[in-house]
Amino acid sequence: MLRFEMRGFSGYAVQYSPFLDSRLAVATGTNYGLIGNGKLWILDISPEGQMVTRRDYLTQDCLFDLAWSELNENQCLVAQGDGSLRLFDTTLDKYPVAVYQEHRDEVASCNWSLIGRNTFVSSGWDGLVKVWSVGRPNSVMTLKPRTRSNTAVLDRPNGTGTTNGKDCVYQAKFSPHDDSLMVCCSGDSTVSLFDLRASQPGQGPTHQFMAHSGSETLSVDFNKYRTNVIATGGVDNKIKIWDLRMLRTGPLSIRGKWPEGPRGAKQVQCTNEIVGGHELAVRKVNWSPHSSNYLLSTSYDMTCCIWQDMGYATDRTRGNNSGYGVTTGRTNASDLRNGLVSRFTAHTEFVFDGDWSLWGAPGFVATTGWDGNVFVWKGTP
Amino acid sequence: MSARLNDIKDHLTGGAHPASSTDTTPDDVVIVAANRTAIAKGFKGSLKDVNTDYILLQFLLQLVASFPSEIRDHLDLIGEVACGNVLNTGAGATEHRAACLAAGIPYTTPFVAVNRQCSSGLTAVNDIANKIKVGQIDIGLALGVESMTQNYKNINSLGTISDELKTDKRANKCLIPMGFTNENIAQKWSIDRAKQDKFASESYNKAERASKTGLFKEEILPIPLPSGKMFDTDEGPRPNVTSDSLGQLRPAFIKDKGTTTAGNASQVSDGAAGVLLARRSIAEKLNLPIMGRYVAFQVVGVPPEVMGVGPAFAIPRVLKDAHLNVSEIDIFEINEAFAAQALFCIEKLGINPSKVNPRGGAIALGHPLGCTGARQIATILHELQPNQIGVVSMCIGTGMGAAAVFIKE
Repeated sequence: MLRFEMRGFSGYAVQYSPFLDSRLAVATGTNYGLIGNGKLWILDISPEGQMVTRRDYLTQDCLFDLAWSELNENQCLVAQGDGSLRLFDTTLDKYPVAVYQEHRDEVASCNWSLIGRNTFVSSGWDGLVKVWSVGRPNSVMTLKPRTRSNTAVLDRPNGTGTTNGKDCVYQAKFSPHDDSLMVCCSGDSTVSLFDLRASQPGQGPTHQFMAHSGSETLSVDFNKYRTNVIATGGVDNKIKIWDLRMLRTGPLSIRGKWPEGPRGAKQVQCTNEIVGGHELAVRKVNWSPHSSNYLLSTSYDMTCCIWQDMGYATDRTRGNNSGYGVTTGRTNASDLRNGLVSRFTAHTEFVFDGDWSLWGAPGFVATTGWDGNVFVWKGTP
Repeated sequence: MSARLNDIKDHLTGGAHPASSTDTTPDDVVIVAANRTAIAKGFKGSLKDVNTDYILLQFLLQLVASFPSEIRDHLDLIGEVACGNVLNTGAGATEHRAACLAAGIPYTTPFVAVNRQCSSGLTAVNDIANKIKVGQIDIGLALGVESMTQNYKNINSLGTISDELKTDKRANKCLIPMGFTNENIAQKWSIDRAKQDKFASESYNKAERASKTGLFKEEILPIPLPSGKMFDTDEGPRPNVTSDSLGQLRPAFIKDKGTTTAGNASQVSDGAAGVLLARRSIAEKLNLPIMGRYVAFQVVGVPPEVMGVGPAFAIPRVLKDAHLNVSEIDIFEINEAFAAQALFCIEKLGINPSKVNPRGGAIALGHPLGCTGARQIATILHELQPNQIGVVSMCIGTGMGAAAVFIKE
């Protein structure tokens, strides 16, 4: 385990460089990210196995997310509390090389497209998702997961399953398999899938469903191997795994008492869920880049976990070489350990983000949180 | 800053959302089948000459025959059988395992006998549901069977505790006969005889109506008697019961001032019931029908001398777990051990009386002790409409109450 302490700064996001095997970036804020400056840390893991600061960039407001450029190995994008996105170049000091200012409120997330390498997406507390091209100062497209028509369905009074109406889009991510597919999750519990080829400004998402029964959905991630599988984490402390092909139709209501909305969020059944894995809200979920059924979660309960999705078996776990995995019909509840591969407990505050190392032996993970620590640890045996 | 702080606060405090118990997931414990035998009158009814193993065997043969072929032809998929029973020696651990084997359930499927007095049938369901929840098994069968006719003799109605314990006031309370615990409730909370008789007569009328109009047809599996005759109709309900006719009966426990009579107490009966449970992911994989889902179960302890108040404390406890409140429940099946205790619970919880036992309760249908909980589930899952929520509850001798929440699908 490696540890790096960022005195006075709380970690909100951490990501391994996609180009350099020893480099990490961490987005942080002072005063627990509630008020004050932010700082982007570029850390190098030295040959002696120590994390050292290569550069840092002080920002005027707290930083909530970051995304390494997939185009330029030196560039790193941050999501800032003042509504701006800033692109820093690690060969330069102090100032960003580009500023993208459109979000009205805090930018909650940013994500670089793995396929369309000059495209990235951002989401914010203003309820908007914006698609950007790196060379253009203005967004290419603005999407709104919450439209007038689905709001009517989502916020029915007095029904169990109604949402708190929170607009904030906590995370938006491109599909690693198809650069025109983008998924995002919101404070109103919904997960929205946008097909950018079909999306029109002002129109709702291509698909939308309530993922955490009315509780805020804080994180979403595409599986890196199974093209239709996503995972979500929410304030109901659950992690859910969904197959986008199984967007089962049916009224949103769980009690059959609400009329169906015009373009309402459907009630969808997940293919697997991890219940009781975390004692508090799940802040981030992140699928392994090395295995189709390993998942990293970080939580307000100060722990991070690696889970095995018991609903799916890969060739390796099944011990044959047919070339394909299969669904098993099992759920994580059918496993006595709930599919838990490992739990990391060294953080002493909320753990906000974690990322898998793409480099070296599979299974290394970097995590960061409110305690100002960055830990690098081995998550899988 | 305050917005960011509030956001974090929401994430920390938003965990308990009311819908968390009411949306469907692959981990849900679902009910695939819930049936029962007709309930026979004790000592003079159709089942008076047979014992529980016979009743259970015949019931299981019918139940298995009613299963979809995915289960019927692969009974080894049943991971465990739990059977509630109160009066048999050792809760029938031997003879009921024997009945399972005779019914064609393979020896590889283990068996457990469960006795928590009147909640045994419900406790068996909870036992199976928990095993499914933690992943020990995927599919399980919960049963309840009782022949009060054959086995009432097995218990000393005063119970047996050692002389050394009899001097302990607390221990001694467990020996209070059930009728007296009910008289205690009637007296303490002033529930008069007329009110009890009215409640009892309504139970009779509801059961009579339900029986006549065939509402029990779907839940009752007819079983053959040794004579070859089929037994398919409840023997407890009788026509033309009024509070006046019940008013003629003499108190059964306290000769002069008592209010509990044979008419406003549950009947002595024989019968069996069974509930097949599975994890949803497995039920869907096997294409099994899903009647509803098990949501939560709780048992609480109450003073033994007023054991009948059990449901009044068990129901709020289980509803809290499910993030539901009393008004959101569509039907309550509350076992009518006695009219006074049932009335106390209904009034204490402020339940709309029309939601309670719409097809009559144990006063009219009978109360085969270990079978009752499973019987109530068979009844409630056939009376609930899709997406309605039901609660099954009962009081338990020696001072307890049990309650469980089910949602029809």
